[in-house]
Amino acid sequence: MAEVVKRDIDPARYDKDFLLRLYREMVKQRAFDENLIRLLHEGKVSGFYHSGIGQEATGAGTCASLRDDDYILYDHRGCNQMIAKGVPLDKIYGDFMGRLCGTTCGLGAGIVHVAYPEKGVLGQSGTLGACFVIAAGAGYAVKVKKTDQVCVCYFGDGTAARETFHGGMNWAGLYNLPIVFYCENNEYGISTHYTKAHALKNNIADRADGYGIPGYVIDGNDVLLVYEVAKEAIERARSGGGPSFIEGKTFRYRGHFEGDPALYRDQAVVEEWMEKRDAIKNYRARLIAAGAAAEEDFAAVDAEVEKEILDAIAAAEASPMPECTRIYEGLFVEGVV
Amino acid sequence: MKTISYMQAINEALLEEMERDGSSVYFGEDVATMSGAFGATAGLLDRFGPDRVFDTPIAEATIAGAALGMALAGLTPITEFSFADFVGIAFDEIYNKLGKWNWMHGCCFKIPVTIRLPVGVMAGAGPEHSQSPQALFMHSQGLKVVVPSNAYDAKGLLKTAIRDPNPVLYFEHKVLYGMPGEVPEEEYTIPFGQAEVKREGSDVTIIATSLQVHTALAAAGMLAGEGIEAEVIDPRTLIPLDKETILASVRKTGRVVITHEEQKTGGTGAELAAILAEEAFFDLAAPIKRVGSADTPIPQSIFLEQEFKPNEEKLMSAVREVMQY
Ligand SMILES: Cc1ncc(C[n+]2csc(CCOP(=O)(O)OP(=O)(O)O)c2C)c(N)n1
Ligand SMILES: [Mg+2]
Repeated sequence: MAEVVKRDIDPARYDKDFLLRLYREMVKQRAFDENLIRLLHEGKVSGFYHSGIGQEATGAGTCASLRDDDYILYDHRGCNQMIAKGVPLDKIYGDFMGRLCGTTCGLGAGIVHVAYPEKGVLGQSGTLGACFVIAAGAGYAVKVKKTDQVCVCYFGDGTAARETFHGGMNWAGLYNLPIVFYCENNEYGISTHYTKAHALKNNIADRADGYGIPGYVIDGNDVLLVYEVAKEAIERARSGGGPSFIEGKTFRYRGHFEGDPALYRDQAVVEEWMEKRDAIKNYRARLIAAGAAAEEDFAAVDAEVEKEILDAIAAAEASPMPECTRIYEGLFVEGVV
Repeated sequence: MKTISYMQAINEALLEEMERDGSSVYFGEDVATMSGAFGATAGLLDRFGPDRVFDTPIAEATIAGAALGMALAGLTPITEFSFADFVGIAFDEIYNKLGKWNWMHGCCFKIPVTIRLPVGVMAGAGPEHSQSPQALFMHSQGLKVVVPSNAYDAKGLLKTAIRDPNPVLYFEHKVLYGMPGEVPEEEYTIPFGQAEVKREGSDVTIIATSLQVHTALAAAGMLAGEGIEAEVIDPRTLIPLDKETILASVRKTGRVVITHEEQKTGGTGAELAAILAEEAFFDLAAPIKRVGSADTPIPQSIFLEQEFKPNEEKLMSAVREVMQY
């Protein structure tokens, strides 16, 4: 059975710069997302957008222990993670707006496939669940290359039901691969509650035990807890200790995609999460209560982030759209390996 | 020149390329300790060790998906399914991922993945261990499709496949494994997209792939006795496709028969026929004919499986038919 980790972490144990860095990451992700939704309404972004608002602690807490050469595979709701891993914001906005400055050089928009090798961002599997087996391969490559890189594979509770879940976990356990599986359990697939999609004893993370992989269930909205548990898992993987599985309990505030009224959820539950369990709000309150940071510190970060976001949007908007011939470029790579 | 089997040719290509590329790995079901269902991977484990050559669980989707992950992380993965029929299990990983990943992510990676896929009717292997599913992947995008018909091509094309920075599906026919052929002593590779004219002729073009190249050559020999000179062309790679060689031959002969062991409907010959109809219609003196296998599942019976697939007789009567015009 997975360990249900509960810790009352005293923020004062961490230095202020670090604490504010986590705050900045979360605020940046939320501001990115809110602005993206605005751009959608302004008709500047098209396609399906899966908002990550409410789930910011995942990327901020996990990526804080990752190096540039560590790998991540994010999912359709994964802008939070790619931002935390360091993909420049103008490139992500550029992708959503279909501009040449995006990582896909104009192919973007819709369910975006951002990859950014210099920061270890390997991409997104639009058909859910291939991430498990792709991560297994990336993890195996680390073993062959004999480096100390780590691969984090992010996915949702719904995706955890995919057949490939078994394949990837089996390889990871069997070959002792440096992979951290991070399940963002926001309770729903699209409309299906995870308890209606999984035969479970208690938690999704319990499955890890059968593969000999340590599993943890945590409050995925407590960024310091996400940070600590992920750090332990990442360090274990880095030092040859093999894979881990973390299930972070979280919630998405918006519909599955922008435009989904999410009538399948009880509005009272949504409000409860937004009011009582919001990762950013609670973190601020906690740091203030502990005397670890003050309102002015947060206000300063907020202002800097806002500028960073608006600058990134302006830069993306200034970038041209691709020519129609763009689709014929890059199907095959020239040369030899 | 030396004479080796198609299987030895594959084995030599693997040994040479894994020696050449220290980032290459070979993995699959029963490939390391047992040297594969057909013995093609003999010697790899001893030479390159257990990290680079390893047995995997029976999980083809994981094998194909992991190959992509390894490529993204800088390796040159070479793998195989015991039977090409198993592509169904890994269809998402092959069809949606391997070929499209680099394009959809802005082309910032190399995906030098090679998957060996044994095809073909042999010894009553039945409906799920005898198929030739290459047409499915001619329709996908970003994959290269290779169909070697002899030892020389098997070796030269596999070496090219492993060096290619794009994913390559390498369809090898099980009946060809034991077939001997001449290969040079020295190192060589064969570029993709170069068809080979296996026999010259002026009356009719036969486009044949894989084992059917041999059927076509045998049929052409017999047709010569009837005064019909058939030109036999082996495309060798379906993606990329050497349209020029095929079109030049059809323009010369004005008649074409396409043969493959795939079922006729929606087989790779359908695409070849469509290309010819689009690009050489006014050069044709007769309708294009296709000789494929029956549009049924493949029977287990060793008698019926031979009836299922094209043979010299069926091919010759198709040729005689186009010669009527
Ligand atoms: C293989 C596959 N099946 C279905 C879908 C359609 N789909 C996209 S997102 C989604 C829900 C995923 O739920 P979860 O994994 O919990 O992630 P969340 O959306 O909650 O972040 C579905 C069913 C898909 N993209 N791929
Ligand atoms: Mg979910």
